[in-house]
Amino acid sequence: MSTTAFEAFLARIYVDPDARARFKADPYAEARRAGLSPEECAAIVKIDWVGLELATRSFAKKRRPKVRSTRPSLIARVQNLFLSTLGFFR
Amino acid sequence: MAVAAAAGAVDAEAEGMNSTKDRVGLGWRPDLAAGIFEHLDCIDLLEVIADDFFDSPRRERRALNTLSSQIPVVLHGVGLGLASCETVQTKLLDKMARLFDEVRPEFWSEHLAFVRAGGIEIGHLAAPPRTSQNVEAAADNLGRAISVVGCKPLMENIATLVDPPGSTLSEPAWVSAILDSVDCDSLLDLHNVYANALNHGYDAREFLRKIPGSRIRAIHIAGGKLISAPDGTTRLLDDHLHDVPDPVFDLLEEVAACSPHPLTVILERDGAYPSMLQLLAQIQRARLSLGRGRARRTATQKQFA
Repeated sequence: MSTTAFEAFLARIYVDPDARARFKADPYAEARRAGLSPEECAAIVKIDWVGLELATRSFAKKRRPKVRSTRPSLIARVQNLFLSTLGFFR
Repeated sequence: MAVAAAAGAVDAEAEGMNSTKDRVGLGWRPDLAAGIFEHLDCIDLLEVIADDFFDSPRRERRALNTLSSQIPVVLHGVGLGLASCETVQTKLLDKMARLFDEVRPEFWSEHLAFVRAGGIEIGHLAAPPRTSQNVEAAADNLGRAISVVGCKPLMENIATLVDPPGSTLSEPAWVSAILDSVDCDSLLDLHNVYANALNHGYDAREFLRKIPGSRIRAIHIAGGKLISAPDGTTRLLDDHLHDVPDPVFDLLEEVAACSPHPLTVILERDGAYPSMLQLLAQIQRARLSLGRGRARRTATQKQFA
């Protein structure tokens, strides 16, 4: 149990809506098709379906490409800190 | 007014009782930089997301070094995926090692999570099936990480909306087994404990009792929001976009009452930023919770002396 194949199957249904839909339609068959052992298939069909739905929504949100920030970079901010420190000692 | 003053006096007393060198800091976020620099005297340390600097230009990394000369800095990794049956990527470990050598943080930390498998990037922290096989694989990955980076990370428990299928170990048993296998200490995320307890129906305090207190060196506190599930129930999402709820401060007091080591507490906030004063108020509340916990610990020790 908890083989690489099992984790790979979880990763696939977490990120791929089509794979997730196939899994929901026929959980055991889809898990078998992915190469999971009968023991692993028996375990994964008992998945918390509500949790799966919420988790996949959350993962999808996290994967959204980040818009490039226009904020000053760390270096600019540290430089500002030094400039203000210099000003303090003047 | 009199009641508020009295409550303030009690809090001040609790804070004064904390003779242990507990510290409370903040997660470094560019949006908070101005406020952080303005209030460096109120923040004990900063936690920097290591992955953000893996491929950054040299001058950005030099700026990080400069920051670490102003205030203690710790590094926090999010993308190694150490609790996985897949072998951790050497190129990522090399990047972590290089950054560690450059910044020389007080410590580094990572998550008890998998983030990729079978060539698929999940894009976030996912809970693997908690089994003895996963414990062995995580121990192998941690051994590699320790060997490449040169020192042990603190390992953090994660929040999960889905209870990982195929698990044969409880979460505290799985966490403890991995920590024991490589003699690693823990970064205990109390909002993750609170959220998992709420979402998966167990008692957060009971969870704390099952984690070895002597392993807890650092703590994360954060906030989240209740979300509606398709079946009409609600679950707590650990989104780091809200204030730390009261039960998390209560859990912090519990840990401080039991932990024999100085604790480093980090407030995590990833967006929907309130004013810096509101964040500093939460840092101060954390100090008070620590103080109350330490006072209880001292009283207990005196009782049995």
